Amino acid sequence: MKQFKTIMGFELKSFIRNKGFIFTTLFLVVALGVLMFLPNILSAASSSEEETEKPVMLVNASDGALADFVHSAFGEAFADYDVRLTDDGEDAIREQVVSGEAECAFVMESLTSYTYYVNDLTMTDSNTAIADSVLQNVYRMSMMMQGGMTPDQASDVLSVTVEGQTEKLGKDQMENYWYTYIMIFALYTVIILYGQMVATSVATEKSSRAMEVLVTSADPVAMMFGKVLSACLAGFVQLAVVFGSAILFYNINKDEWADIPIISSIFDMPPSLLAFMLIFFVLGFLIYAFLYGAVGSTTSKLEDVSSAVLPLTYLFIFAFVVVIFSMSAGSVDNVLMTVCSYVPFTSPMAMFTRIAMSSVPWYEIVISVVILIGSVIGVGVLSAKIYRAGVLMYGKKPNLFETIRTVLRS
Amino acid sequence: MVLELKNIEKSFGQKHVLCGVSFCAEGGRAFGLLGRNGAGKTTTIRVLMNVFPADGGEVLIDGRPIDHSRIGIGYLPEERGLYPKKPIIDQLVYFAQLKGMSRSDAVRSVDAWLHKLGMAEYRNKRLDTLSKGNQQKIQLITALAHDPDMVILDEPFSGLDPVNAMLLKNVVKEQIGKGKIVLFSSHQMGYIEEFCDSIAILSEGRVAIGGDLESIKRTYPRDRLVIRTQQPQPILEAYGDACTVGEHGVLMLRMASPEDKRAVMASLAERFEIDEVRVHEPSLNDIFVEYAKEQ
Repeated sequence: MKQFKTIMGFELKSFIRNKGFIFTTLFLVVALGVLMFLPNILSAASSSEEETEKPVMLVNASDGALADFVHSAFGEAFADYDVRLTDDGEDAIREQVVSGEAECAFVMESLTSYTYYVNDLTMTDSNTAIADSVLQNVYRMSMMMQGGMTPDQASDVLSVTVEGQTEKLGKDQMENYWYTYIMIFALYTVIILYGQMVATSVATEKSSRAMEVLVTSADPVAMMFGKVLSACLAGFVQLAVVFGSAILFYNINKDEWADIPIISSIFDMPPSLLAFMLIFFVLGFLIYAFLYGAVGSTTSKLEDVSSAVLPLTYLFIFAFVVVIFSMSAGSVDNVLMTVCSYVPFTSPMAMFTRIAMSSVPWYEIVISVVILIGSVIGVGVLSAKIYRAGVLMYGKKPNLFETIRTVLRS
Repeated sequence: MVLELKNIEKSFGQKHVLCGVSFCAEGGRAFGLLGRNGAGKTTTIRVLMNVFPADGGEVLIDGRPIDHSRIGIGYLPEERGLYPKKPIIDQLVYFAQLKGMSRSDAVRSVDAWLHKLGMAEYRNKRLDTLSKGNQQKIQLITALAHDPDMVILDEPFSGLDPVNAMLLKNVVKEQIGKGKIVLFSSHQMGYIEEFCDSIAILSEGRVAIGGDLESIKRTYPRDRLVIRTQQPQPILEAYGDACTVGEHGVLMLRMASPEDKRAVMASLAERFEIDEVRVHEPSLNDIFVEYAKEQ
């Protein structure tokens, strides 16, 4: 136990002191900080712009009666623009738009047809869509008035609203899609990253021959568990720092984000889900990190590590792809997902997704977690045995299955 | 303290690596474990250190099965290497702690050893910034910092310059002087002869020759004379096939039997111009090479 603590302290220190670890964590925190403060930054930038004049929008309508009507309707719909009526010809309007005197221009041929002039059409330009709906309303209104309705009646007809309510009895996939996605992605990244780090760390000890001294100084089981648990702790610390700072930054800027439903839905995740995240993160991490460590111990050169861990990585990517596809398809309870949520290597992501996005009966969760815990213990013990056998094997081509066979036979 | 290995057996799969290895090493004396490459030396050491259990046989300390939680063992493996990218002090303290020392004791002991081996200035440097010989001294500290009861040194002198070799010799003598069991494994027979009172030569998983070095030497027939002379030619002609030129120009004369010693010596002194004549004592190297030839 004392040895285990020593190993864990040493390994944890080397994770935390790792430049990559520090840099990645800092980078993510800073990036999230910038992202979360973005509305503040943007509004600060735009508020200074407000003192300058509004961009000019030119409207040319051939028909005089139409012109006033359109002018007032556009003036209301395009509050950000200085809407001006003009009698200039097409060429003069083109020139003004190109020179930047006006940002854009509408030349009306009739109530139902126009040409929109703009210099650079941005991706977010919705002016034509707004103009379409304004003009549709104007047209409908004028037709109804011609048919004998009063303007009030006509506008009542046009502005009629339907009141409807949705009562959700289960979960709202629109709301939980994004935070589930983020959590699954975090789970995926951290497990792959740290799994590789564990495998590399074991292989480094072997290739530098530090293993010769280590294996005669410490119990291989303690070494394996110390390495994996310290990696788990380091990964958890990293996740906690990144997620913690994101939540903190969000809360500082909460009001700014109120209008953007995706962002607020991400941060409105239920706390119980965080608890499930923790459970599945720890168990999923352990089961993979043990295997990565065992595979690392069967290699004797660092160059062999990346190819030796490929089968494991594929297994994990498979789980990730199944989950992401099911999420995008909106059917997280399909047969494949249900099966995957009990298989220990896929359940950390599959079951977590089902819990987050649909309603899973409690006993299914318990069964899945129990299977997972049992597997973690089994894989941990097996990995320690592979490790014990693997660390002293040099030169041989790494072969996990052969090693497992040797271990099982002994 | 006496270490005793009794009939140690070990197989890896089909391969029988150790077939009944037995030897006995005493505290306060150095023991040499010899053998050609692949003879089973490292496997014996690993069984001794409990890296894996033996399939059969016993490892005893003072007649009782060894308790690894109580007997400290220091090991300098032949394949050297620690953590190249980590500061020296960190890893030395780590290894000492793994061997059961408290952190403060480990730091104190490691600092004392760094000082003793003239490595104090490298304390906070990364291991891979050091020369090979200096890295080897660092590795030696991992074997000794926790003040073990038994020290196992596998090829300790390889790669050391004469000054460092002398430093290491003094350290080894000091360890022997403290009454520890010191196990040497080396192919440099000179060092083994210098330190070890008893040896075991392993061959194909068995102890081929073992016991007190002096007695082993004595079992070899003393039937050869070493002759040093300025004029070798007449002697070579007189004795024909029995006389050959040995190393450094000395003549080796094989006698019909060791009892002829006095007669042959007298005859040599009378008939030829010689500087020196003595009975040839087999060196450990001779014993080893001769033994290996027989295989």
